[in-house]
Amino acid sequence: MKPKIFIIGAVVLLLLVVGFMIKDLFIDSPGNVNPYAFDLNSLRKGDTSQCMYSEDQQIKPAGSEIHGISTDASGNIYISGKDTLEKLDSTGKVAWIKAYPGNAECIHVDEKGNIFLGMEDHIELLDANGTKKAAWNSPSAEAVLTSIATSGKDVFVADAGNKLVYRYDYLGNIELKIGQKDPSTGVPGFIIPSPYFDLAMDPDGSLWVANTGRHELEKYTREGKLISSWGKASMEVKGFCGCCNPSHFAIFPGGFVTAEKAIERVKIYDMKGNFVCLVALPESFEEGTKGLDLAIGAQNAILVLDPVKNLVRKFIPKKKES
Amino acid sequence: MKTLRLLIFLVLLSTIQTSTYAIQRFPKPEFESGYTQPQTLMPHGRAEILSYLDVAVLIIALTFISWVIIRKRSRNWVFWTSMFSLAYFGFYREGCVCAIGSIQNVSLALFDSSYVIPVTVIAFFILPLVYTLLFGRTFCAGVCPFGAMQDLVAFRPQKLGTRLNAILGIIPYLYLGLAILYAATGTDFIICRYDPFVGIFRLNASFGMFFFAGTLLVSGIFIARPYCRFLCPYGVLLNWFSRFSRQHMTITPAHCIQCRLCENSCPYDAIEIPLTEKNPENRKTRVKKLIIIIFLLPLLTFTGGWTASLLHTSLAGVHSKVKLARQVLHPVKDEKQAETFEIQAYKSSGKPEAQVYQEALVVLERFKTGSWWVGSFMGLVFGLLIAGKMLKKYDPDYVPNKGRCFSCAKCVDYCPVKPEKN
Repeated sequence: MKPKIFIIGAVVLLLLVVGFMIKDLFIDSPGNVNPYAFDLNSLRKGDTSQCMYSEDQQIKPAGSEIHGISTDASGNIYISGKDTLEKLDSTGKVAWIKAYPGNAECIHVDEKGNIFLGMEDHIELLDANGTKKAAWNSPSAEAVLTSIATSGKDVFVADAGNKLVYRYDYLGNIELKIGQKDPSTGVPGFIIPSPYFDLAMDPDGSLWVANTGRHELEKYTREGKLISSWGKASMEVKGFCGCCNPSHFAIFPGGFVTAEKAIERVKIYDMKGNFVCLVALPESFEEGTKGLDLAIGAQNAILVLDPVKNLVRKFIPKKKES
Repeated sequence: MKTLRLLIFLVLLSTIQTSTYAIQRFPKPEFESGYTQPQTLMPHGRAEILSYLDVAVLIIALTFISWVIIRKRSRNWVFWTSMFSLAYFGFYREGCVCAIGSIQNVSLALFDSSYVIPVTVIAFFILPLVYTLLFGRTFCAGVCPFGAMQDLVAFRPQKLGTRLNAILGIIPYLYLGLAILYAATGTDFIICRYDPFVGIFRLNASFGMFFFAGTLLVSGIFIARPYCRFLCPYGVLLNWFSRFSRQHMTITPAHCIQCRLCENSCPYDAIEIPLTEKNPENRKTRVKKLIIIIFLLPLLTFTGGWTASLLHTSLAGVHSKVKLARQVLHPVKDEKQAETFEIQAYKSSGKPEAQVYQEALVVLERFKTGSWWVGSFMGLVFGLLIAGKMLKKYDPDYVPNKGRCFSCAKCVDYCPVKPEKN
């Protein structure tokens, strides 16, 4: 090759360097965004073949800001939120709507129809008609009550602020604090990085708690003894990812229903914690949706409270194609 | 020597590790398994005594290389000294502190009284200039790690020709002007930002930085020392100082015998071809040229200053305060496009919009003045280059151009003349 070609090539490269400097210095690239941002887009694309449920019904509640959902033994649906409490029948027909001042972050209806509301830092007890019977003392100034479950004479309440589960009696007295870190008994303590801390009763009377920071569900006796746990941190659909998931869960015959944030999805696991299927794919929800509270409705329908769309969404198993 | 250079370059190349792309689970998980996380320790700053050691090494290296070039006239010794400098100032000191970047520290210290410039940085700025004033650009020859790095890859250097050399030779002046402007206004240290070899010295850099260095090194195979000749802003200062050097490396140790053996020996086109006074210009022509230059210099200086002052808003756009004000004034309308870091930080700061504009206006005013200076400087440089072309210097011998010559001593081996014995 002639030297001239070398010179031209080398000069072009040199000018390329100068051009790069000028571009970098004076021309703002439109994509000047966080280069370290975690791109969840690929993970948000759920595998439809793993989804065994379909959305059957969307129920529009009366309240404009909804937080909690629960069902009673008859399949009636109770929805709590800001300044509103409502009861619907299993088909979504309104039974009653009450103005209820305050922000009821969570709701639970026991076997007798008593309604428990978690009013951020304390519990309020209502009768089956939604009339207030009692307001219990706040366990502490830092309390952020996020979930309630009952079993016999016990009322279990999850406190995300103090990272504890309280066992109350029906008079509002705290009998036991569960989940305090204790290396001598092997209780690892709850890691709750965000105000999503759910619990539910196992059919055998023991308590399941979502230790979200560990991406696990942990099973405790009513005395607070850790029996077992399942769940693993994973970016795969079988695991839980993000800082703290599952944000919500519910127990239905034969398994668990879980809801996650960051990658918004609803899944089913069997009682041993094996992944069964997806109920709702991430694309079913608005990006950034948090607080997908769950309840089990009539005929084991899965009720998902969608606070962003302000809907209660009913999912039922897909009909098998003949 | 060529094989040796290739070998050293390949060894250096093999040590480079590009950073691996890794995805971390978001955000950092919290551990409460009883494991006590060790307290994060900040690495201690470099001991002050060691920074003085750097200055001592610089003085020793400059003294030694100057002796090697002026007295010993040995290319081999120059090469090995430059390899030592590459190892010490390049790989051991990871390219910092460096004389080239010190221009910015000095500029900032001159214009910002709150900035305290370290003594070692002043030493790294001044010492090479002092030695250049005494012995020519011996710093470039054997102490600057940038030069050493580029010397390793100059396998097939080509002559660029006077015109191309002159055109590309403008870039360092512009780079120097902008580097001083941006440092003095507290905008950015652009010399460090576009330091091509720091990634190699630190064996760690982004792909872009390695690509930047790689492009320069590939061009350096055919254009010897492209950074030194056509980019280095410190080289501009060294060029000026070297023109007035007390002693300078000579091609011949005695009298030039016009054998022309050295004519093509310089890979940097820094040997002046003899220009004898066969047809000397008459006095009238020279006076006419001088008058033209006297008028041209202030005209070009003013035109340069005025032109650059028109561009001051574009130049100021690099400053973070001006950039923010523009983004606040013209917010992104596309909702899908994420907000920049600057806008996010501004929104969370609660700073009033008027204050953002006020701060940007202060910066713009400073740039208006600074742009005048940079433009005037560039106009003056143009004028002096034209003057240099118009007023030819007559020299019957092959001599190094004192400004452009790196004193690398590559040409001395070509000279058959033996030193005269006293």
